[in-house]
Amino acid sequence: MAIESLPDLEAWQKRVNEEKTALAENIRVVVHQGTCGIASGAGQILKAFQDARKTRWLKSVVIQEHSCIGCCYLEPYASIIEPEGRSTLYAYLTPEKVNDIVEKHLLGGQVVAEYAVDTDTPFFNRQEKRITELLGQIDPFKIEDYIFHDGYQALAKSLRMDQEAVLAEIKDSGLRGRGGAGFPTGVKWTFAFQAEADQKYMVCNADEGDPGAYMNRAELEGNPHALLEGMAIGGYAIGANKGYIYIRAEYPLAVETLENAIAQAKEFGLLGQNILGSGLDFDIELFLGSGAFVCGEETALLASLEQKRGTPRPRPPFPAHKGLFEKPTVLNNVGTLSNIPLIMRKGAEWWAAIGSESTRGTKVFSLTGQIARPGLIEVPMGISLGEVVFDIGGGVPGGKQFKAVQLGGPSGGCVPARHLNMPIDYESLKEIGCIMGSGAMVILDEDACMVDTAKFFLEFDRDESCGQCLPCRRGLPLMIDMLERITRGEGKSTDLEDLENLATTVQKTALCALGQTAASPTLSTMRHFRDEYEAHIIQKHCPAGVCAALFETRCRNACPLHQDIPGYMALARAGRFEEAYRVIKQTNPLPLVLGRVCHHPCEQKCERQMLDEPLSIREVKRFIADYAYQQGIEYHPPQKDPRPEAVAIVGSGPAGLGAAYDLALEGFPVTVYEALPVAGGMMAVGIPEYRLPMNILQYEIEQLKKMGIKIQLDSPIDNLEQLFENGCQAVFLGVGAHGERNMGIPGEELPGVYQGTEFLRQFQSGRPPAVGQKVVVVGGGNSAVDCARVARRLGATVRLVYRREKRDMPAIEEEIAAAEAEGIVLDCLSQPVTIEGQERVEKLVCRKMALGEFDASCRRRPSILEGTDYTLEAYTVIESIGQVPRTETLAQSGVQVEKNGRLRVDPYTLETDRAGVFGGGDAVTGPRTVAEAVAAGQRAAFSIRQYLDREPISPVMARPDFEKYQIPLASEEEPQGKARVPVKESDPQNRINGFEEILHAYSQDEARQEADRCLRCDTGR
Amino acid sequence: MVTITVDGKKLEAPAGANLLDVCRENGIDIPHLCHKKGLSPVGVCRLCLVKVTGMRGLAPACCTQVKEDMEVVTEDEEIHELRRTNLEMLLSEHEHNCLTCESNGNCELEDLVYRFGIDTVRFPANKEKMPLDDSSLSIIRDPNKCVLCGRCVRACREIAGRSILEFSGRGPRVAVIAGLNEPLDQTACTSCGACIQACPTGALTEKQARFQGRNWEFHKVRTTCAHCAGGCQLELWTKGNQLVKVYGVEAEDAINKGHACVKGRFGMDFVNSPERLTDPLIKRNGRFEKADWTEALALVAGRFTEIKEKYGSDSLGAVASPKNTTEECYLLQKFVRACWQNNNIDWCVRFCHSPTAVALTRAFGAGANTNPINVDEQTELLMVIGLNLAHNYPVGADRIRRRVQADQLDLLFVDPRKLEMTSYADLWLRPQPGSELAWINAMMHVIIHENLYDEAFVRNRTEGFEELKRVVTEYPPERAEEITGIPREKIIEGARRYARAERAAIMYGMGVTQHINGTANVSGLCNLAMLTGNLGREGVGVNPVAKQTNSGGCGDMGNVPNLFPGARPVTNMDANKMFEQAWGKELAAESGKTLSDMLLIPDNVQGLYIVGANPLRSSPNLNLIQQVVAEMEFVVVQDIFMTKTAEMADVILPAATFAEKDGSFTNGARLVQRVRQAVAPVGNSLPDWQIISRLSEQMGLTADYRHPSEIMDEIASLVPPYGGISYQRLENGPICLPCPDPDHPGTPILWKEKFNTPSGKGQFYPAEYSPPAEMPDTEYPFIFTTGKAIWHMHTGAYTQRSKVLSGLAPLDILQVNPADGEKLDLRDDSRVRVISRRGEITLPVILTDCVEQGTVYTTFYSDVPVNLVTIDALDPVAKVPELKMCAVRVEKIS
Repeated sequence: MAIESLPDLEAWQKRVNEEKTALAENIRVVVHQGTCGIASGAGQILKAFQDARKTRWLKSVVIQEHSCIGCCYLEPYASIIEPEGRSTLYAYLTPEKVNDIVEKHLLGGQVVAEYAVDTDTPFFNRQEKRITELLGQIDPFKIEDYIFHDGYQALAKSLRMDQEAVLAEIKDSGLRGRGGAGFPTGVKWTFAFQAEADQKYMVCNADEGDPGAYMNRAELEGNPHALLEGMAIGGYAIGANKGYIYIRAEYPLAVETLENAIAQAKEFGLLGQNILGSGLDFDIELFLGSGAFVCGEETALLASLEQKRGTPRPRPPFPAHKGLFEKPTVLNNVGTLSNIPLIMRKGAEWWAAIGSESTRGTKVFSLTGQIARPGLIEVPMGISLGEVVFDIGGGVPGGKQFKAVQLGGPSGGCVPARHLNMPIDYESLKEIGCIMGSGAMVILDEDACMVDTAKFFLEFDRDESCGQCLPCRRGLPLMIDMLERITRGEGKSTDLEDLENLATTVQKTALCALGQTAASPTLSTMRHFRDEYEAHIIQKHCPAGVCAALFETRCRNACPLHQDIPGYMALARAGRFEEAYRVIKQTNPLPLVLGRVCHHPCEQKCERQMLDEPLSIREVKRFIADYAYQQGIEYHPPQKDPRPEAVAIVGSGPAGLGAAYDLALEGFPVTVYEALPVAGGMMAVGIPEYRLPMNILQYEIEQLKKMGIKIQLDSPIDNLEQLFENGCQAVFLGVGAHGERNMGIPGEELPGVYQGTEFLRQFQSGRPPAVGQKVVVVGGGNSAVDCARVARRLGATVRLVYRREKRDMPAIEEEIAAAEAEGIVLDCLSQPVTIEGQERVEKLVCRKMALGEFDASCRRRPSILEGTDYTLEAYTVIESIGQVPRTETLAQSGVQVEKNGRLRVDPYTLETDRAGVFGGGDAVTGPRTVAEAVAAGQRAAFSIRQYLDREPISPVMARPDFEKYQIPLASEEEPQGKARVPVKESDPQNRINGFEEILHAYSQDEARQEADRCLRCDTGR
Repeated sequence: MVTITVDGKKLEAPAGANLLDVCRENGIDIPHLCHKKGLSPVGVCRLCLVKVTGMRGLAPACCTQVKEDMEVVTEDEEIHELRRTNLEMLLSEHEHNCLTCESNGNCELEDLVYRFGIDTVRFPANKEKMPLDDSSLSIIRDPNKCVLCGRCVRACREIAGRSILEFSGRGPRVAVIAGLNEPLDQTACTSCGACIQACPTGALTEKQARFQGRNWEFHKVRTTCAHCAGGCQLELWTKGNQLVKVYGVEAEDAINKGHACVKGRFGMDFVNSPERLTDPLIKRNGRFEKADWTEALALVAGRFTEIKEKYGSDSLGAVASPKNTTEECYLLQKFVRACWQNNNIDWCVRFCHSPTAVALTRAFGAGANTNPINVDEQTELLMVIGLNLAHNYPVGADRIRRRVQADQLDLLFVDPRKLEMTSYADLWLRPQPGSELAWINAMMHVIIHENLYDEAFVRNRTEGFEELKRVVTEYPPERAEEITGIPREKIIEGARRYARAERAAIMYGMGVTQHINGTANVSGLCNLAMLTGNLGREGVGVNPVAKQTNSGGCGDMGNVPNLFPGARPVTNMDANKMFEQAWGKELAAESGKTLSDMLLIPDNVQGLYIVGANPLRSSPNLNLIQQVVAEMEFVVVQDIFMTKTAEMADVILPAATFAEKDGSFTNGARLVQRVRQAVAPVGNSLPDWQIISRLSEQMGLTADYRHPSEIMDEIASLVPPYGGISYQRLENGPICLPCPDPDHPGTPILWKEKFNTPSGKGQFYPAEYSPPAEMPDTEYPFIFTTGKAIWHMHTGAYTQRSKVLSGLAPLDILQVNPADGEKLDLRDDSRVRVISRRGEITLPVILTDCVEQGTVYTTFYSDVPVNLVTIDALDPVAKVPELKMCAVRVEKIS
């Protein structure tokens, strides 16, 4: 049985070869059973296949149990490999699906496309599988399988070389430690080789403990012999005859696999005495760790191996000089050692052929968190983070915004979106305050609070700290205390400085890597997401809606107007619509408008989506507002006693009206100056009728007037001084963004070329331009979509030209879908280069675009593809590529204006540089949403009130309750899965013939039904 | 030596030295808390971080070894700030209440906080108050003041060799715990207090010293411990005239390197005891009455003179004390010899180590330890025989245990009882009590027959090998197994291990000597050492462990009936003449009476002067002795407490304790060290040297010494091994005897070149095994044996007056094997009568396998007169009684 020499090994391989060839004549069903597969039910799948084999008499089918191939997102899965080589991967299996597959595929010879996975996708074809190549391909419990795949050839080859030659090969490969620190393996081995001692050790660190890391487990479960062979080669190279694998006891399957592998290797003579007749003795023992994360630190691991308390000690001396039992010891990670056989067998040159400049080879990463395709991947070093996350991983699911990748676990840091193009290697990561670590990539989306994330990792480190050294033991709890306070809204302005000081002290003075790097997640999130920290500290606001102490419910937290959503939902459910209307009106001056056009960020955060679908909050609100409108219910909260200080508001858009509303509630006399002949700003001249009927808007504005708000139309304000001279004491600038950016291409001046804002304004004013038969709209935002849909209604065929991909369009998703339904054609990845025509526009020359690197918004930046020009005929071209504020005259009144025309204000208080003048809305932020503009106005109103009261202006807005109301208690019934009540909309074919509203309000029953879905997260708060 | 640059300054240091220590020795004080010289560096407090050129990040100075050309910056703005922040973190970790802290003024944390000027802490304090552990009588643990430096943990492991204290928990929950997180008194802690001494703050403090004084109020005096013969250097902290606490002296020249045992550290409060004798007492009508010194001394001198005249010079006898200074011992024998003109002086060595003196003298030429009492670093194997090391010499035992744990030393233990140290032994031989010679001879049998002996040493440096060979040939291991009960394989293995070790040392105790063949036993060990060449080098030797602090000095000063100071026979006329001349008195030229002669033979002396001894408790067959002493005409006892012996006296002279006087002690291994006065004698008590001087003057001998140093000068002029000793030299540290002249460096190791025998060669004295005097029989079926306990000395007369010691071990308890216990229907705490042919005592019982079936054991430190039971059968040569074994019957008291 024992293999005593190289010829023996070759003979063995030949024999195995024959067996394999014989086996390949059968259909093989491989059920992938890693720990993860078993957890997701692979056992049942295996049993289903086995049962089928018996009952259906499938004699020629061989069923095998292999480990996983890393596609966690497909669990449980199995492969069917047919004699002619066709291999099919079936995913999300259930016993029923297995029966189907048995029937159709095993018996019928037809691939069941429904369950089969397309493997010609980035998750598969962008990987470079080396140490994971055999995972799932071989039976990890059979050494023969490994030998068949040239296993132990590298050891045999190494044993015929000098120790120095082996060391040179490893050095030449440039292999760096895969455990995280990236120390050159060949150098480490050489230190140990050169150290004089009667005994040396080879130790493998398999104490994988980073949250989100499981690559070592998969490697060990799938191909344990690669590690054993790597260790034996290392033992030979440095002169050690004893190896230990320190593995966490929480990996029972890996332990079982390894135990079996070691026993087999010993039986085969590939471990033990006189290996392959070379005279090398090398033995490996397993040592089960007891679940202390700190024992992943090498000196602590060695202490633990010595049966001592697992605490790190200062280095030097390094283990290569003085390690286990004070003897020279090489300590390598599983991934590092598993690469050794590849280097020795295929040569350093082959191995080093891929990778980045400083870091050669591949790296196995585990993708977890908010990612479409979680899994274990092996990619070349130097691949960009964006490729990994968006191409291989499929990006963030659920339409949410990508925020960051947490790399390196509790020792690592967060890589924000703007670094998506960064190549993954040790040096690049270090530059941005991050580390490779074990390779755990946790993808965070907009729902992750970075302060909370920092706290999470600190808490992990605090609990896992050995506690012997002061900075780690005490510094981490103190940092947590501070973060805790910040997340409770008790942060102080000095906190960030103190936190940084503390973090730096811990980083610089802690004894071991655990402590030294424990502050990294904090420091890196502070570095990349400082605004989020400031939001917590200054505004007492958690933008992600995680820090529960800072808000009542997540929907309310996300609402710019801070609407009491559960409150009016409860009232609506009870049929108390008038009260619900009052609740809405507490904070919302425009319920009819916002019930129609709100971008509803509340729904993104609705907890109901964990159960089925988010609540249709906007539609319920619309129903309530419409109900009040139809019933003639008029309400505004009680106004405070009148005050003498007059306030002027420039602009009657949502920002101006928001400010006017709140100021009027506070008792101030308010005058709104509107340059246009119609009130409502962009709501009036930018949002088409079919989304927001003009009479609805004007009704709502009339309601405001009833509070005493004066609106002067046709009154452009060019001189702020005059307002003050006329007796007003404070001014709010809500002038919106009514300008439009030009594309700067030839032909823009031709008649028939409109700017989007101008086009909509004309249309809304009842003077729609003649658009002709063919219209091309350029742009991808809401305004562009509006233009396209208006043009379509004016009878044209419309193309929308957009330079990026459809998924990158900033317009609201449902608006795009509606546009497409209305027959509007999207020309994505395209950009106009010239507009041509004699008298007026005749055609438009466009050029296709290619996607390049990622930009800060996680979208790939488009670039022109030369030679792809094509021509679109057009009678009308509407450019809608970006609205800008028109603030030239204001700049002359002493208000600071940015280059792009935006007003410069304090981000929290909205004060301009001029005392008494405040600004907000699109004029400050560029084109955004109605709700955000209303909120900005209200914020400004709060500042103005404080200003006029000569109070310091607080960055935290505390809007008073104007009226108390009674909210019904939540239902005690357990919520049942229930989809949202669908919103009826007009048929696309019909609706394009007019400007009627498309979306139809809920009926009373529907509204109550939908409101009933509210989980009442406010209960108990 | 290498040169390094620290803060721009060039320093010289040995390569590999600890950077922190090097800096400190050169006046550069790098802040630190977790480092302490003598403990392994761990680098956990992170305060000593420095910048070392070429090293990444900051390096802990305490874990950095100096290398040639190393460049170090110990402090700059960055380092300063980091240290400051760390200190603030430390302060925020627990409540540090300095106002009532015992360590205020002696706190390393306090010093650092002051140095960094931290008056406010930016971080919120952890307010969680943890409970004190005040379960122990000696040590209070206050986790609220703990800085988790781990010094106590390391001290417990590395100095005490115990690991009672350990870290538990992780992260912020890390804490130092005792045992398995038990109250300290529930653990195996022996109260050595190494943890207190190691603690940089007030987390570990002396319980009895609480609120007794603060650092700046204490007067601190270095002296030598008054308990065992180890010679530990202690610092006595006194306030007013009270001794409050004790620290181990950490100086290089201190044999204990800062360590101490429970007696040294916590057992000194007997000095302050209210029970101290404060005035001379004269017994009138059976009751003691206070007297002044003039009256008392006149009475004593008068009565001695009367008795001398009435019964002859030979009717007076004196008992000396190894608890007195060498100077006092010298004066006492001078008083006896010069004023009484006899040699009737002896001391308790008669009942313990007299065989050692005899056997070692005849084998090597002097009755002293051949090597230092500390087992040298070079020792590879240590054989410990009949010695409860952990209790007899605790500080040494701790060091040995640590070396055994670190695998630096093989320990071969021979003892009938299962002791704490036997669990650490590499090999434990368990002989029947009294069977030593059989296995010793058998070992030599194995060594000779397996040709493992040192042929060259035997040939060149010894005489009598053939006779030895002849005798031991009769002791094959099988025969020894029959006699001793030790399996033959173990005897063979022990012999091989001992013989094969490059450097093997022997330590032994009363288990060897207190037998009727005690002298032969010791000779057997001498033979074993000579046979294997384990003499005259570092790390080897034959080393008896003496009982009491000044055993060396008391012996050297000739407090025996046959020898003058310096071990010259009283029968030697040259010596006799020299002392006559020096003292100006005529001296007796024949040997005097031994202690056994004086106490065990009725009517042998009529006047007895007992100085610092308690024979009415410590002697065998007490019934007999009580009778003998009661019949004497006049008994004077000079002591510090009212002992059982003092109760029988006619006059009691109150003496001062070691803390109240100057002098010197010579430890069990010939090391001369100073004793320094720390407090004034209580009441009207006087140092013994003054009492003896005044008594001498009363009896016509000039003794006008102003200070003990003058006595030492006289000793130096008359006693050749002390020729080079003076107080001036002793100020610079201990000196090892012999030290014949002021320039001589001292002699830690004896017999390097030749022995002190007439031929200069070592003498083999082989002997045949003979059974003990009294073997168990049907009437008295148990072997009764006694031994020492770590907490007590000197029959408990002093130590039972210490709060900690008496609290820890107030009773003598009879150890009975559980199997015997079952037969006798005994449980723990049952009371039994132990009856021998001579007397009976009553003791509580503990069932333990520390004793084998058929053997019972007890200590003798309580009010129970254990020696009523023991036998007075004597070794014919040394006259030591067979205190270690007799036959008894055990009866349960229901």
